[in-house]
Amino acid sequence: MSIIQTKDVKKWFGDFQALKGISMDVAEGEVLVICGPSGSGKSTFIRCINRLEQHQEGQIIVDGIELTNDLKNIEAIRSEVGMVFQSFNLFPHLTVMQNITLAQIWVRKKNRAEAEEKAMELLERVGIPEQAQKFPGQLSGGQQQRVAIARALAMEPKIMLFDEPTSALDPEMIKEVLDVMKELAQSGMTMIVVTHEMGFAKEVADRVMLFDEGQLVEENTPEEFFNNPESDRTKLFLSQIL
Amino acid sequence: MKNALKTLSFFRNVVFLKWASQIVFLVGLLYIIWSYIQNAVVNLEQTNIAFSWGWLGETPGVSIAEGMYTLPNSGRQMIQVGMLNMLRVTVTGIFAATFLGTFLGIARLSKNYIVEKTSTGLLEVVRNVPLLVQIFFFQAFVLTFPRLEVFDVGTYNLHVSAKGIAFPWFNRQPTAYLFWVYLIAILILANKIYKWRVQILEREGRETRPFLWSFGIFFGLLVAGWYGGYRVMGVIGFLAGYISTGVDLLPAIFYQILFSSIAVFIGYRSTKKFIDSKKSEEAQGIYSDDDYFKIILNVIVVLLVVVLMFSSVGLGLSNFLVGDELVFKADWGVPQFFDGVNNKLYWNPEAKIVLDAQLDGMKRADIIDWIAVPGTEVTKGDVIARATAKDLKGDLNQEISIYAKYTGVIEEVFVSKGDTVKINEKTYDIRVTDSKPLELSRPRIEQIGTTKFKKYADGFGKSLSVGYFAIWLGVVLYTAIFISEVVRAGIMAVSKGQSEAGLSLGLGRGALLRLIVLPQAIRVMLPPMGNQYLNLAKNTSLGIAVAYPEIVAVGQTLYNQEGQTLPVFLIWMAFYSTVSLTISTIINYYNRKMKIVER
Amino acid sequence: MVDLIKKNAKSLQESLFSSVGSAALTIATTYLVINFFRGMLGFALTSDKDWLAVLNNMQLYMVQAYPEEDFIRVWLSVGLTFVLAGLSIGIWRSDDRVKSSQVFNSFFKGGLGVLFFTIIAPTNSSFMGNDGSVITEEVFSMETRLGILIPVAIFCVIFFSIRFININFTVNSSDMVFFYLFIPVALLWFIKLPTIQLDQNNERIIPDPVMPIADTTKIPWTVIFVSFLASYFIGMYLKNIKSIKSIMSLSWFLLPLLIFSWIFKKPQIDMSVVLGSDLPIFGAFLLWGFLVITFVNNSIFKKYYSTYLGLTFLLTLVGVFSGLPMLAKTCLLLIALFSVVVPAVSTSSQGKRSLLIVWAVALVTLTFLLRGGASDTGIVVPGSSIFGGFSLTWLLAIFGTYVSFPLGVLLALGRNSKLPIIRIVCTGIIELTRSVPYITWLFFASVTLAVFLPAGVEFNLIVRVLMVTAFFSGAYFAENIRGGLQSIPKGQYEAADAIGMSPFQKISLIIMPQALRAVIPTLVSSAITAFKDSSLVTIIGLFDFLTIGKTVIGNQSIPVNFVGHDRENLIFVAIVYWIFTFTLSRRSMKVEKKLGLGER
Ligand SMILES: Nc1ncnc2c1ncn2[C@@H]1O[C@H](COP(=O)(O)OP(=O)(O)O)[C@@H](O)[C@H]1O
Ligand SMILES: [Mg+2]
Repeated sequence: MSIIQTKDVKKWFGDFQALKGISMDVAEGEVLVICGPSGSGKSTFIRCINRLEQHQEGQIIVDGIELTNDLKNIEAIRSEVGMVFQSFNLFPHLTVMQNITLAQIWVRKKNRAEAEEKAMELLERVGIPEQAQKFPGQLSGGQQQRVAIARALAMEPKIMLFDEPTSALDPEMIKEVLDVMKELAQSGMTMIVVTHEMGFAKEVADRVMLFDEGQLVEENTPEEFFNNPESDRTKLFLSQIL
Repeated sequence: MKNALKTLSFFRNVVFLKWASQIVFLVGLLYIIWSYIQNAVVNLEQTNIAFSWGWLGETPGVSIAEGMYTLPNSGRQMIQVGMLNMLRVTVTGIFAATFLGTFLGIARLSKNYIVEKTSTGLLEVVRNVPLLVQIFFFQAFVLTFPRLEVFDVGTYNLHVSAKGIAFPWFNRQPTAYLFWVYLIAILILANKIYKWRVQILEREGRETRPFLWSFGIFFGLLVAGWYGGYRVMGVIGFLAGYISTGVDLLPAIFYQILFSSIAVFIGYRSTKKFIDSKKSEEAQGIYSDDDYFKIILNVIVVLLVVVLMFSSVGLGLSNFLVGDELVFKADWGVPQFFDGVNNKLYWNPEAKIVLDAQLDGMKRADIIDWIAVPGTEVTKGDVIARATAKDLKGDLNQEISIYAKYTGVIEEVFVSKGDTVKINEKTYDIRVTDSKPLELSRPRIEQIGTTKFKKYADGFGKSLSVGYFAIWLGVVLYTAIFISEVVRAGIMAVSKGQSEAGLSLGLGRGALLRLIVLPQAIRVMLPPMGNQYLNLAKNTSLGIAVAYPEIVAVGQTLYNQEGQTLPVFLIWMAFYSTVSLTISTIINYYNRKMKIVER
Repeated sequence: MVDLIKKNAKSLQESLFSSVGSAALTIATTYLVINFFRGMLGFALTSDKDWLAVLNNMQLYMVQAYPEEDFIRVWLSVGLTFVLAGLSIGIWRSDDRVKSSQVFNSFFKGGLGVLFFTIIAPTNSSFMGNDGSVITEEVFSMETRLGILIPVAIFCVIFFSIRFININFTVNSSDMVFFYLFIPVALLWFIKLPTIQLDQNNERIIPDPVMPIADTTKIPWTVIFVSFLASYFIGMYLKNIKSIKSIMSLSWFLLPLLIFSWIFKKPQIDMSVVLGSDLPIFGAFLLWGFLVITFVNNSIFKKYYSTYLGLTFLLTLVGVFSGLPMLAKTCLLLIALFSVVVPAVSTSSQGKRSLLIVWAVALVTLTFLLRGGASDTGIVVPGSSIFGGFSLTWLLAIFGTYVSFPLGVLLALGRNSKLPIIRIVCTGIIELTRSVPYITWLFFASVTLAVFLPAGVEFNLIVRVLMVTAFFSGAYFAENIRGGLQSIPKGQYEAADAIGMSPFQKISLIIMPQALRAVIPTLVSSAITAFKDSSLVTIIGLFDFLTIGKTVIGNQSIPVNFVGHDRENLIFVAIVYWIFTFTLSRRSMKVEKKLGLGER
């Protein structure tokens, strides 16, 4: 049973077509890695999945709910899909704790005590319980990204989207974030990860996809993708990145 | 799949909600506006002053203290005087404030303790006191000087009385504006020549002396211009005269149609361009809801402009252009200047000639024997009239100035001004003379008619009325202070490394400021500077508090007369918006230019 | 000590005489400055100036023609403001400490300033008589000069040399406020400013013994000062109560409303109505609020919460159109709105407690306002306006900001909105409002606005001015806030969307707090501008502070003739405006630094 299903998704920015018909399925519990050259539409695609962008043609169905202009559906999907951004996007005027409890209280209508308890639990899970009362500006990049993951997890999403979560980080911080993501994958979370961390893809991914110029060029298991790619475009991409 | 197949009910459709809520908002807003307009219509009916523009053409029956016309013959002319008075303060104020502000801004960055503290002190005082209080203070300052009547008639160097302040100034001949145009023209020419010589230098690699060339030509033309050559610019007056006559002659309906068609044309063009861009191969003609809205909006705006142009509002604004003579006509539409190239003067046969010689201490010299007949051709040096002076004080050994005034169909204009001469005989000739465009003259006090009242004589030095002085000094000082902050911030925004690099090249402090820091700072300074100019323009409206007849004061006088508050308010709005738009356009132009230079 | 002087002299020399040009500049500026001050002092001291024109009209300046028997209301308002201020200073008391040497140094500098002016003051000064002749007279005799010089010089020497004795202590910077306020209050008891009286021939006399003006104000000011000080200590004591800060903010928010009704209205309180209707209504709604707060997050109640909310709104709707007393109607409306907010806040016992306090305060204020403020009996003031002078200026400034700020927020949001029609409308409103000077809007308020109102509806000119001002400064606030909105990165919006926040939550919890914080400096300077601009109402004939100085006193001939003394009054007006705007901008600069603005 696939939890995410897209059919021939197309998307334009003015004159420019960013997605040229993407069709794919993601099964529940699956970890999908998307890679591809910069500007190929990876971000646009996963942002369509929680409707930060609006696709113009085709179908996106998440957990049985089709993404249309239906207000209720959008609300429902937003609360089922968590997202982690390349630039963290933590709220700088709130403490780490407040960042994580905010949506629980205002969107999930939990009371503060419950929310804080949940937040502490998540902070422990991502390994920084001692930073709860600090402001984002006082944390390192890796710590900030882990807070961002905790913030997304606090909504208890069924699906997590990661848009290049490590590309704004120094090498030593990348590992700490990837470790959290690995742990998350092992716990059975459905994940779509846009990343260029090929080690992560090899180790964790169930499937790897390559985007190029708004099209899905190759879709394969990690072993096949890295060792025995089907298309020349993938070979070229791998030769550049590895 | 459970929800996917259901048809979407419209109250959950985001697009529907988006537009429905906006349309509800708009309808609500329009309803509120409409109901207020309805109120206005009812209320105005009850008080018997229906909205109208008729007063634009009627004689207002009030005088204006100063300006182009002091006894305007129509409401339109009166408003034009107000506009010009406002612009007079604004334009001169902007230059003065920029100059003073830059100076103060640099002083605030001075390493010299006393200079820095003094300018900061000035800043803190001026910035923290309401402008109106300052203007009142300047007014009170002048008003406590003695009345003009206690002073003797005569010429002074600097004179302050409760009537205002007078000081020596370049006396503007009627043709002076041509000289300014001429000056700008030859400056541009000199600049072009400089660039042309530099181009040759760069191309051929030889010394072309660009500065010498451009300066030599500039100087030569300046001398030639000073001695009369500037009158070639008379062609501008000639053209402007015809244009303004043309603008006047066309009926209001022409402007209504003209502006409507311009709106239709622009709307059509932009819509077509937009649709064309959607037809490209990539875009495949897909329109989002926002795109449709854009097209609909274009149509609505065009329709609105057309409807507005044909409503009473548009009619009034079109009426503003036609019928009565325009302000600039008097100044520009003077064909005789064109002929002045040959020093020939054609008198309009219909013209009424008034020669008026004035003597100090008496009302006027007794005129006059006509030598030349109106309508004939005269050349330089010709005697056109002979005047006999009656001296009431019995002392003939004094300065006398003689005017020949020419009243044509258009407006009262000087033909030529006689030299100021010492006379000791009673009869003298009035000749057509060739005068310099600018002449330094000293202020002079004269009697008004035979009354005991006195005034600063027109055309001698410059006299600032109390109102003008107060509002001008007020806005200039106030704006200069804010500009000094802009300048200081701009200079500080240039990184220290730039100054250090400059210093290490051996530039002096002055050169460093001029060549390295200021050009970069200006880029940062321009937008906030533009804001300050806009503030200055708006602050001139405080002139009403000190009886300076700018547009707001004049408007108030008018609606006190006619009761037409709404049209006056519309005119204020249109005028100030135009001025603001002009200022920001100019600033934006320079801003863009600066940015391009950066590349 | 010699070293110190040497060091100072050296740095002075470097800054003032580093080069010939610099030296020339120093000398020229010094010459100019000294002559400017000489001129000003000479101007102020010549006998054609009558400073009593200012001193004798303090009452006019402050409240214009407000009836004397109701002055207690004004004093109470001032007092209440000071008490709130004292509490706030106590609660927000900073730990910054000022070194004693700094304090002494500032005394020393102040003394030096006085010395400077005493030395440069001109002995003779001249002014121009009505006939244009120049009259010169002695304005500052040698005895006076020495009489000031010697004690001040001693004062300076003391505070200069004190730094060489080791007296080292520090003072809390908040405490200094009270010290600085203590000086003028204490002076009221000692300085005698004479009141002019007229004898039988209408000649001015200064009675003997001198009747000090301060006599009427020294007691109220002293009482206010004492309560100010007392509330400061109470504030320090209350500091640790958790929700005290939000309560204080709320009180500040409500204070203007309270004062407004207090000063305008003279309620005749009918005890039977108060006991028979107000008190029961008050009690009932207090109970209702208490129940909602206590049970809203109870799991059973939660189920029926939306039903409860629907019923409440229905009841409100019915109630508002029924014959219930005004107080009950308003309370209904309030409880309905309150019920919406409660579930989110009332999650902890601490939140519940503060909610209950807020609710009680709101009810008390409401009851007071309706019983006191809405009664028809107002203060009667001769003349057209209700009141004038500094009170009016203050009212215009505070209410202008009070109303225009929320409007500015709304307009800014509208202009930044993704909804095109709303964006266009808001842009249009902002730009049209800003394109025309304030004074034309004031004319609009005074002559045109009435045309648009339905027949029979009339507003006082002050209210019309407030309406127009709200729009005008609202448009300026909007532009400032928009600057802040634009400085917020797109990622913040996306992150809020991604965690499923509604647009309203996104704006109020994520975007606005950041945007406002980024533009505090511009907002403060806009507020200062609004304060200064309130002086423009002079032109449309309201009796604000400036009008009193410029027009009222300048034309006053009874009981004492002050015609033609507007320069003295204008200078006084300027100084008062200056003190307020200057302190305000300095304070805001300090607050800015404290908040660490600009650093995220
Ligand atoms: N808001 C936007 N407006 C216009 N073009 C956009 C926008 N967002 C993305 N694009 C364009 O769409 C293409 C795909 O972008 P993106 O999905 O961010 O690529 P990737 O994440 O694969 O690097 C790029 O060419 C980018 O320029
Ligand atoms: Mg990307």
